[in-house]
Amino acid sequence: MSAPTPDFGSWRHILGTLILAVLLEQLPWGGWALALRPDFVLVGVLFWTLHQPARTGFATAFAFGLLADFQDGVVFGQHAIAYVFGVYLVLYLRLRLLQFDPPRQAAQMFPILLMVQLTVLLVGWLAVNPPANLAMLLPVISSTVLWYLATGFLRLWHGKGLQGRA
Amino acid sequence: MAMPDQLMFARRLGPTARLLIWLLVGVSCVVLDSRYHAIDGLRSGFSLVLHPVRQILRAPTDLAAELGGFFTRHRALQKERDALLAERVRLLTDANAAQDMRRENAELRSLLQLPPRPGQQFVRAALLYQGHDWFSQRIMLDRGVLGGLRAGLAVVDAEGLVGQVSRVYPGSSEVTLVSSPGHLTPVQVERTGQRGLVAGSGRGQLELRYMPTQTDIRKGDRLLTSGIDRVYPAGIPVARVSRVLRLQSGPYLKVECEPLAGLDRSRSVLVLATQPQVTTP
Repeated sequence: MSAPTPDFGSWRHILGTLILAVLLEQLPWGGWALALRPDFVLVGVLFWTLHQPARTGFATAFAFGLLADFQDGVVFGQHAIAYVFGVYLVLYLRLRLLQFDPPRQAAQMFPILLMVQLTVLLVGWLAVNPPANLAMLLPVISSTVLWYLATGFLRLWHGKGLQGRA
Repeated sequence: MAMPDQLMFARRLGPTARLLIWLLVGVSCVVLDSRYHAIDGLRSGFSLVLHPVRQILRAPTDLAAELGGFFTRHRALQKERDALLAERVRLLTDANAAQDMRRENAELRSLLQLPPRPGQQFVRAALLYQGHDWFSQRIMLDRGVLGGLRAGLAVVDAEGLVGQVSRVYPGSSEVTLVSSPGHLTPVQVERTGQRGLVAGSGRGQLELRYMPTQTDIRKGDRLLTSGIDRVYPAGIPVARVSRVLRLQSGPYLKVECEPLAGLDRSRSVLVLATQPQVTTP
């Protein structure tokens, strides 16, 4: 239990990255970029759930899920339920996830992100109508890549000290 | 495992219990929103907060488009001007003929004692961004309640019908495209006058439903709105038939159509704001 930098994961960091994620989603994406756009907010929420479970968790995930529902113009609760489920999975596998280096951690996150997206699909299917196609699973891949980049960046920034944070 | 500022034995609810509570909240949100439309206020609130942010974040792309437009070649502009002048002459003749017909129509209507048709107003709107929803296809426009829009209005571009306004916020509105899965549009075939229903099939395609196998319909036929639903005015081009399949299994034809409007290309559209129809008993 060694803290690399005392202010890592402070409220300032958490809020800053999540607001940045929301802003990134507000950019006018279109065409292929839109289809492949990673779910920045989901990656942010799960990342902080993994590293600061005492500060972010179910309520944060639910609130940002409602925001994502508004953003996509879908029924309220669709992303909220999925994000909450993702937070549960991350909390359940937290100790395991923290042991891995960035590429392996990203590989472990892939099924979690896939489960979250499948939940979005399922809720939308039950509440509205069948989805047009399965292109909605594409962001899972890009979100995994984003996770890898985020973890890799963090490792470069803070050195290896973070690995002992389990 | 235990953090220094945390007790070794947690005294709050475990993750599974909290998951179940939040899932319950989530499910009630879905039900409240989809069945009773009870939390539309939250949507408007989000829209009020996020609208200025979106406008600011759109500025770089707008600036890039402006700069791109500045460096257009002089020759291209001249060519476009010539084409526009020729088209203007053609449209003026058409407009004169239409005015003549309108006068004649009004006279005939007054002779037959039919009520006059409701007037038509246009509201110009620009595409704000494309929605990211896999269950229906939507775009956001930069005009809302303040611009005089309301839910249910028809949205067209130069080529044809784009869709229908489905939600309005103070400064923006959401349009469900004609190609959205399950979105129905009453149409008639321009050549024969046969009426039918066009449904979106997703992937930017349309499908003309419930056409008996002996129907006279061919590849290349244009479909116009029939106007019997009182949502869309009659005569807006919707789609062109691209393929007609005779299935052995069913009593109906499978008619595939391409939308005429640039659903994924148009940057600026017109919203047809009809005056609400007043029926006097």
